[in-house]
Amino acid sequence: MFSSEIILQTIISGLLMGCIYALVAVGLCLIWGLMEIVNFAHGEMLMLGMFTAFWMFTLYHIDPLLSLPLCLLLLFLIGVATYFIIIKKILKAPFLAQILATFGLGIFLRYLAQFLWTPDFRMIKNPLLSGRIGLGGIFIGIPELTASAITVLSFVFLYWFINKTEIGTALLATSEDREAAALMGINSDRMFALGWGIGAACLGVAGALMSNFYYIFPEVGFPFALIAYVAVALGGFGSIPGSFIAGIIIGLVESLAGLFIAPAFKYSFVFVIYLLVVFIRPQGLWGRY
Amino acid sequence: MALLEVKNLTKDFGGLRANDQINLKVEEGEIVGLIGPNGAGKTTLFNCIAGFYPPSAGEVWFKGENITALPANLICQRGIARTFQLVRVFKDMTVLDNVMVAAFNRTNKASSAQKKALEVLDFCGLVTKKNMLAGGLTIADKKRLEFAKALATAPSLLMLDEAMAGLNQTETAEAVELIKKVRASGITIFLVEHVMEVVMPISHRVVVLNYGRKIAEDIPEKIIQNEEVIKAYLGEKYHAARRRY
Amino acid sequence: MKKNTYQWFLLAAGVAVLMVYPLVLKLPFPRHLMIMIFLYATLGLAWNMIGGYAGQISLGHAVYFGTGAYTSTLLLMKLGVSPWAGMLVGGLLSIGLAFLIGYPCFKLAGHYFAIATIAIGEIAQHWMLNWDWAGAAVGLTLPILPESLINLQFHTTKLPYYYIALAIFALTILVTYAIDRSKLGYYFKAIKGDLEAARSLGINVARYKFYALALSAFFTSICGSFYAQYVLFIDPDSVFPLMLSIIPCLIATLGGVGTVWGPIIGAYILIPISEFTRIHFGGGGKGTDLIIYGFLIMIISIYQPFGVIGLTKRFRKKEQP
Repeated sequence: MFSSEIILQTIISGLLMGCIYALVAVGLCLIWGLMEIVNFAHGEMLMLGMFTAFWMFTLYHIDPLLSLPLCLLLLFLIGVATYFIIIKKILKAPFLAQILATFGLGIFLRYLAQFLWTPDFRMIKNPLLSGRIGLGGIFIGIPELTASAITVLSFVFLYWFINKTEIGTALLATSEDREAAALMGINSDRMFALGWGIGAACLGVAGALMSNFYYIFPEVGFPFALIAYVAVALGGFGSIPGSFIAGIIIGLVESLAGLFIAPAFKYSFVFVIYLLVVFIRPQGLWGRY
Repeated sequence: MALLEVKNLTKDFGGLRANDQINLKVEEGEIVGLIGPNGAGKTTLFNCIAGFYPPSAGEVWFKGENITALPANLICQRGIARTFQLVRVFKDMTVLDNVMVAAFNRTNKASSAQKKALEVLDFCGLVTKKNMLAGGLTIADKKRLEFAKALATAPSLLMLDEAMAGLNQTETAEAVELIKKVRASGITIFLVEHVMEVVMPISHRVVVLNYGRKIAEDIPEKIIQNEEVIKAYLGEKYHAARRRY
Repeated sequence: MKKNTYQWFLLAAGVAVLMVYPLVLKLPFPRHLMIMIFLYATLGLAWNMIGGYAGQISLGHAVYFGTGAYTSTLLLMKLGVSPWAGMLVGGLLSIGLAFLIGYPCFKLAGHYFAIATIAIGEIAQHWMLNWDWAGAAVGLTLPILPESLINLQFHTTKLPYYYIALAIFALTILVTYAIDRSKLGYYFKAIKGDLEAARSLGINVARYKFYALALSAFFTSICGSFYAQYVLFIDPDSVFPLMLSIIPCLIATLGGVGTVWGPIIGAYILIPISEFTRIHFGGGGKGTDLIIYGFLIMIISIYQPFGVIGLTKRFRKKEQP
């Protein structure tokens, strides 16, 4: 029915987009695994990352590739700030409060962005990373390819950081048992703030990368956040590599579903996957529990 | 026919065998104590009986009915009530409301549930605190509330999981009196305990678990002299033997 | 006893005021405002049944609102069925939907459940946008029928809409009150408080969660049908959007979850603010009142998760020793 080229093209673009999903998912997983709080403002923070890159380009002519470190830093600070201003206060709050707090933040950010920057779709025209390369009938966009490469690098760095450095180990310890970690002299407050910072920083990176090839608008983050929830569930609660791989899988599945089923329903398909995962294998593919 | 019969009950958690071929009976009107060192599998056994998870093998019979596969809520409706080691009160509800939830096990009417709840609260000595939020109670009172909730479900068998943990001398003595009152009202009691001063004086029989297996079952006087039990407890040998039962 | 008579008096006074309100304030806007308050208060009360009492945070409730709106509208447009019957059918359909959604989803804990409800809400909106027979993105414009109670359409005055909305509101209050005092309410609260403890006390958790969701879905659906008859135009963006799932949750939380009066208070505070910001911040419309909503949700969850009623309880506690 479809030529092998089209199928291969679909698979590749699915994998590439999947890398972005993967990085977004990793950020969410880190926070979720660390303190069992779901960041319902995750999508909006991604949106902020994208807009940062956009405004750096539009106002100061700084290419997204160059403003990536700035996006990373800015989102890191936003993550830390969110922890101290909001999250810290709801750590012991009733469950409803925990969900609503970040949910409210998400709504607040989304509509504030809409108010300040209008709902219009923006694009960065002709960034440094543009164009495509052709490999025998298959076209791969350079921004997408570079984005995937950088996300994989980011993930490797993050993995090294968490598993091989002292701070990373402290982070792991805190997520496993807060009190025991405290007895070892680990300040859980700082660990949580760090977790939020890194989680948000992932969004800064992902946002800067996406601004090269994706439309930028206030509501852009929401579908990515939903996919991230699915990825974290699929990968398994608390497993960062799991979330990363799951993100890529979802990118692939979404892409193929768009081809074989119908583009309009590809998101529905992804959500169906979520529902299947949590019913059939609640601990996900690589989960802790 | 025994009220409760546990036949060859085995429970595995992955590679760990928490309960290994346990057989025991609890006759109506008895107080049976379940003791054993930490990690012996006492709470696991409780959870299997109460339907929190199914045993890996074996059966649980209650009043002549096989209740092995039943979920926890149906087991409660059949007449087995249990308390939790770490008390699980509804902390945002009042003491009275907490017990009313339990009382609804036998009735659909709020007025009947309230009546029953007040009776049970009176029985347990909590009636003056009926309008307090459960979350604000002291540990001893929370345990009493936990107890009251279990009672209000109108059970035939009451299973107490380390109900004495964390209580001081006076509180423990009060708890023991309460247990005796409950038994006098016709309810059979099966309790897990670490506090020997509680288990030994009030139990008709004591069952001892170690490493998931039942190693002894006898009257309290004989249990404290049992070689296997002493070995399992080692440090407790002098402590238990010093008391005269 | 004195406290009770005082409360009855207040209640009677309140009812009297509401009955007389539209006869005193005859302009469309005050009536519309109150109708909106009734509608959202009802939605808040409905959400409260599953979210406030039973503690299952559903963030996809719009799916029931939309089901109600579309069912009664489609039955009217395609089969000429009276909106009242359509309302009932929509309600029953929503209960069925609650069953389909609930039984699998209730096995999910906390966050997973909330996310699943969001996902379902999104899927529903998405499908409706693509379902041509039901109007797809264009939506459905209800046929203008002669003004009558049977047709549930009134063109010259909002007065009948007012009293119908008031009736729905009152009915939902009564049902909530009945739940609060009954075995259902106690069981819901127990499930919210501690699931395992509830189970050990004989509660069939899945079944009662379903009861809560079914009740909640039914009343949400009724509101959807009413809305369709009031506005005479529906489309996926107006009856299935995420915001519609959030506002009842916000209203219930603002006023006080798990209580009878909470959502009512929440609606009386929030809806006037919302309507006034909509007027004063002009046609930008969707933007600004939502910024305030988002901010409010944050503030409430951080500082006063038990809402206004939680605040008043604190004051009362200070009076008693």
